[in-house]
Amino acid sequence: MHGKLLSKGLVSLVAALFLIPLQSIAQDLSGREIMEKLEDNRRATSNSALSRMQLSTCKFGVREGKITCAERPRVKSLESVGKGYGADLKDTRSVAILLDPPAERGIGMLSFIYDEGARDNETWLYLSALGRVKRIASGSSDDETEPGSLFGSEFTTEDQDTGKLDEYEINLLEETTESGREVWKIETIPNAERARKSRYSRSVLYVDKERFVELRIEMYDQYGKEIKRMLGARVELMNGIWVARSTTIMNLVTNRLSNMAFLEMHTGIDVPDEFLTQRTLTDAAFRETELEKLRAQID
Amino acid sequence: MIEIKKFVGFAATTLLVSLNHASAQDDVLVLDDDVQFDGDFTFDDDLFGAAFDEDSSANTSSWLDGFTIKISQQFSGQVNNHSVDIAPGFSLPRKADLETNRLGANIRYQNAFAPGWLLRASGQIRSYWKDDYEYEAAGDKIDIEYRVNEFFLQRSFGQHSLKFGRQTVVWGETVGNSVLDVINTAEFRDFNIIDIEDARLNQTMLVWDYFGENSNFSSFVNIYPEFNPAAVRGSPFFFEPQFNLTDYDRDSSMLFEAGTQWRRSFEGSDISFMAAYLYENQLRYEDPANLIGDAVAETNDFFLLGFSANRAIGKLLLNFDLAYSHDVLADSFSFPGTASLANPVNLKKDQIGTSMGFEYAISNEQSVSLGIQAQMLLDEDEGLLPGQSLINDGVFGSWLVRYSNTLMNSDLVISSTLQGDLAANSLLALVGADYTINDNWAVGGQIINITSNEESPLLFFAEDVRLSATITYSF
Repeated sequence: MHGKLLSKGLVSLVAALFLIPLQSIAQDLSGREIMEKLEDNRRATSNSALSRMQLSTCKFGVREGKITCAERPRVKSLESVGKGYGADLKDTRSVAILLDPPAERGIGMLSFIYDEGARDNETWLYLSALGRVKRIASGSSDDETEPGSLFGSEFTTEDQDTGKLDEYEINLLEETTESGREVWKIETIPNAERARKSRYSRSVLYVDKERFVELRIEMYDQYGKEIKRMLGARVELMNGIWVARSTTIMNLVTNRLSNMAFLEMHTGIDVPDEFLTQRTLTDAAFRETELEKLRAQID
Repeated sequence: MIEIKKFVGFAATTLLVSLNHASAQDDVLVLDDDVQFDGDFTFDDDLFGAAFDEDSSANTSSWLDGFTIKISQQFSGQVNNHSVDIAPGFSLPRKADLETNRLGANIRYQNAFAPGWLLRASGQIRSYWKDDYEYEAAGDKIDIEYRVNEFFLQRSFGQHSLKFGRQTVVWGETVGNSVLDVINTAEFRDFNIIDIEDARLNQTMLVWDYFGENSNFSSFVNIYPEFNPAAVRGSPFFFEPQFNLTDYDRDSSMLFEAGTQWRRSFEGSDISFMAAYLYENQLRYEDPANLIGDAVAETNDFFLLGFSANRAIGKLLLNFDLAYSHDVLADSFSFPGTASLANPVNLKKDQIGTSMGFEYAISNEQSVSLGIQAQMLLDEDEGLLPGQSLINDGVFGSWLVRYSNTLMNSDLVISSTLQGDLAANSLLALVGADYTINDNWAVGGQIINITSNEESPLLFFAEDVRLSATITYSF
């Protein structure tokens, strides 16, 4: 018992020693630096990572004063593999494959997300009806899904974008609390070039000061009206990275919400470069074999 | 007329059922779209909490997981009572009529049964009910038809992949009407299938893909080339030929097709070069000897060289395809009784064709695309006898515009298509709506209107108004 107490005390001491300087450093960070750390954390969740997620989408309403689903949510499950590239691994390549529902099983999306503002992100989609891989122009849509969004959910590729911070004016507004946590309230405003490609004229982020995770983001249109709100919850340490395991985005115009639940996230996976190519979309034998190898690394 | 009423009743019932299903739960206050969310509001994600309770280790895979089944009931018909003037003093009555009333099942199976191995199969079964033209063609009996679509075995190893069996090979970037999308045959049996993607048929091929570091090669050999099937008796495209249209007699020669494509992706662009030895998908029919017996089906082989490219510029995607065909038949779309001495017989020509277009994302929900296909025979007058002319002279082709709007977070997709020929002889306008009720159920409806003058083969369908409704269950 004494040994246990001692070890707990040691752990606490080490944690305190570790956290105290982190807190004091954190106090001095600029809005830009906070955003960089936030993005580093975001990228870490997709760098050499294999994740399994569940996407639930529904129209929302109010019951007993609380926002809730007004219909049975539509649920999609998917598996995603990602890896960092380029300088400081700030570019991300990822493949997401739908596992469910059956009618959409096997639809895959390959995305190259570039940190540099001048480079447009690239997306390819494999649709069995077309029988080939189709490059998707940013925000383009078609019959089976909405590539501007993640598999028809309220999560858009823009909401998941990283980098391009040079194209934003970043203001640290205040320090406050959100969901019982101390947070920075940060405003990001796109410059003229980015604004042409963005749905949002301004975003306000509430970033957990200790974990560098967004607990809330408000997104405004060009008229200053809040059109979307994102809420992060169930923040947990997964493989050494703080992750909001449950992220809900509400579209306040259409009154639809989507929840992304991280069921599994494994980092430090050795992802071969050839897996993050168009071959993974078209060559199902290759894809399944490589996925088995990736899953085996977890076991 | 009773059938049409039944059909309209079915469509209305389907819509009501789906809307009722989609309506809000009783005790939830549904918000107006213009509600303001000033300040905080309460939300917790407990309603999605079950996802986190799932024990992922409890997942067990079964070979049955590879099955995807879609069951659908479809009605379609021509609803406008009118007549078509096809010659001076001669008009063709076009009565409102139910054309299809069929229950179908599409079954797809995929199983990566061993490392590097994959089996994929898909097929369809159709049961034709009363008032379906297939029911009437079968002598007023319920008719059942089945067809194997995909059925191939794949082996992937290193940078290679081999696929053998029934499959499709799609070339070209322009969606819908690419001049390079000629490898597989197609069947346009009904007017509710007007997209090439839905009409494409699989063929038995060996496909070898090589995935290089910066570029890919994809090659195919087809040792049993097939041809566009003749129209099914009773279908809207069927007309009574002077002689029976039979399949090609394969006893006389060994047929094969082969081709290869090199493809490379750059940032913002993909390009491909391709070359192939092919048979024209449309058989050419000649009158039988002594005008006795069945029409004689003739094949024609030709060489194809192609290039395709796309370029993404923000929300705009530009597509371009170029095809050079050597030794295509100048009058391949010839049927017994329709050819005349004024048309050349078996005259081979070179042809150049292009299809180009763009897709533009107006917003995350709306997109518009345009595709134009134009072809021209080279040295078109060469080899013609005095008084002869080509069916297609000068530049000929088609255009296609599509618009789609995704509403209710992809639950509802409204789309419209306009399709016409470059000579402005015909116009086909389609408006469709597809509503996803839940993960299993979906309903869809279409309205098609056809306009044509006497220069177009679509003259027989001029002023047709066609409705179709489908309800689908997937699992």
